[in-house]
Amino acid sequence: MATNAMDRRRINGPQRTVEPIYSKDTDPFASGRKDSRSLDQVRPIYMKTGPLSTQANDLSASSAAAASGSAFYEQGNIRVSCAVYGPRQGRKSNTRMGSFDCDFRYAPFSCSWKKRSHVRGADEKEISLMLEHAIAPAIRLDAYPKACIDAFVTVIESDGKSATIAAAINCISAALVDAGIEMYDSVAACSMGLWESQWVADCSQAEENVSSSTMIIAYMPSADEVTYMLQHGKTSPDQTDQAVQTCINMCTRVYAVLCRGLQASISE
Amino acid sequence: MSSETIVTPGRRLGLLEEHDAGAGTYVRSGMIYSSILGTKTITTSETSEKPIIQVDRKSPLAIPSIGSEVLCRVIRMNPRAASVAIMMVGSTPCQEDFMGTIRHQDIRSTEKDSVQMINSFRPGDVVRAEVISLGDQRSYYLATTKNEHGVVFAQSTAGNTMIPVSWEEMQDPKTKAIEKRKCAKVF
Repeated sequence: MATNAMDRRRINGPQRTVEPIYSKDTDPFASGRKDSRSLDQVRPIYMKTGPLSTQANDLSASSAAAASGSAFYEQGNIRVSCAVYGPRQGRKSNTRMGSFDCDFRYAPFSCSWKKRSHVRGADEKEISLMLEHAIAPAIRLDAYPKACIDAFVTVIESDGKSATIAAAINCISAALVDAGIEMYDSVAACSMGLWESQWVADCSQAEENVSSSTMIIAYMPSADEVTYMLQHGKTSPDQTDQAVQTCINMCTRVYAVLCRGLQASISE
Repeated sequence: MSSETIVTPGRRLGLLEEHDAGAGTYVRSGMIYSSILGTKTITTSETSEKPIIQVDRKSPLAIPSIGSEVLCRVIRMNPRAASVAIMMVGSTPCQEDFMGTIRHQDIRSTEKDSVQMINSFRPGDVVRAEVISLGDQRSYYLATTKNEHGVVFAQSTAGNTMIPVSWEEMQDPKTKAIEKRKCAKVF
């Protein structure tokens, strides 16, 4: 009877089915983090200012193309470089205030989860805008009437989408300070992911894949102002509140590292 | 150099009641903060009773503002105005050139109506000028009305560097040809 009912013109499923083999470790949180960090620990930071800009005493003809300031920033596997040009003549002119523009790019080989093309993607445009919004409040744009400050960020290696954006913010801050742009404060940023009901700082890509929600906060510690906040995913208001508090504390720690690195860059 | 004197943006430097804010600093709610990375210095001056806190940086950035003296090169000109590229602001070279405009009514302070552009500048001249306005969309407005402002370096049609012989004339030392310029008073 069953053979008669079968429609031979269609592709039919196998007659015998078995249950798939599920992976054993259903709980990735139980064994802690792979790199044995604590839950509120940011990956180690390395920073260097001025790799793309020439020294002050070298005013050769080639310095016209050199950036006013630049920085290289590493946080675990994340590697970001940023070049700042300006203040230079702006394309769109606002006679009272300067403008800050940002161009964020992933290098084609930078992402483990996706092959990048050379064409600027929609997500890169979105992140560029995010970075502008996060950094612009810190710059004293009133000190640069009619001028334009440009930041070009390149992600050389990415490990965690939100952590990469946070690293880019830190990198731009360092490059702006290196360029000598007048700022109210440097912006420090950090990201978090939510594992079940536990917030975990500075998630790598593997950790972010299993987190249900992510949070990025950019913060100016000296002014005590949050310049940017972005949350993906669903949380309870209490959890968001907790994440904001923890992120701000971590940003202050990142800020201290940034400042120490910047001080060392001119004292040597 | 101790790390105590090196400050980063956002570092508190002192109270506005006790100090005056100098270059590289800003004031927020009665406190003076650093706005650049550099070394903190406190200077006392006779003119003000309070010592001035400022943050010094090795290479200051050049940006034209109203009243600043600039050195520029004439790029192109028409009977109404000359387009110039601003190369230096005060004594600081610009990283990239800013564009400026010298309108014919801003070349000299007297007999403005009889000023002719072609008798004042030529493309390639280096001009000392003053910024009078932040100008329009793409350029700063410059003026050479003061005596010490005007052409400081010019080459004749023969290609030799000329020397000023009067307020309005420059002479080629080799060919003895005289060309008209709005000369700057040499200090």
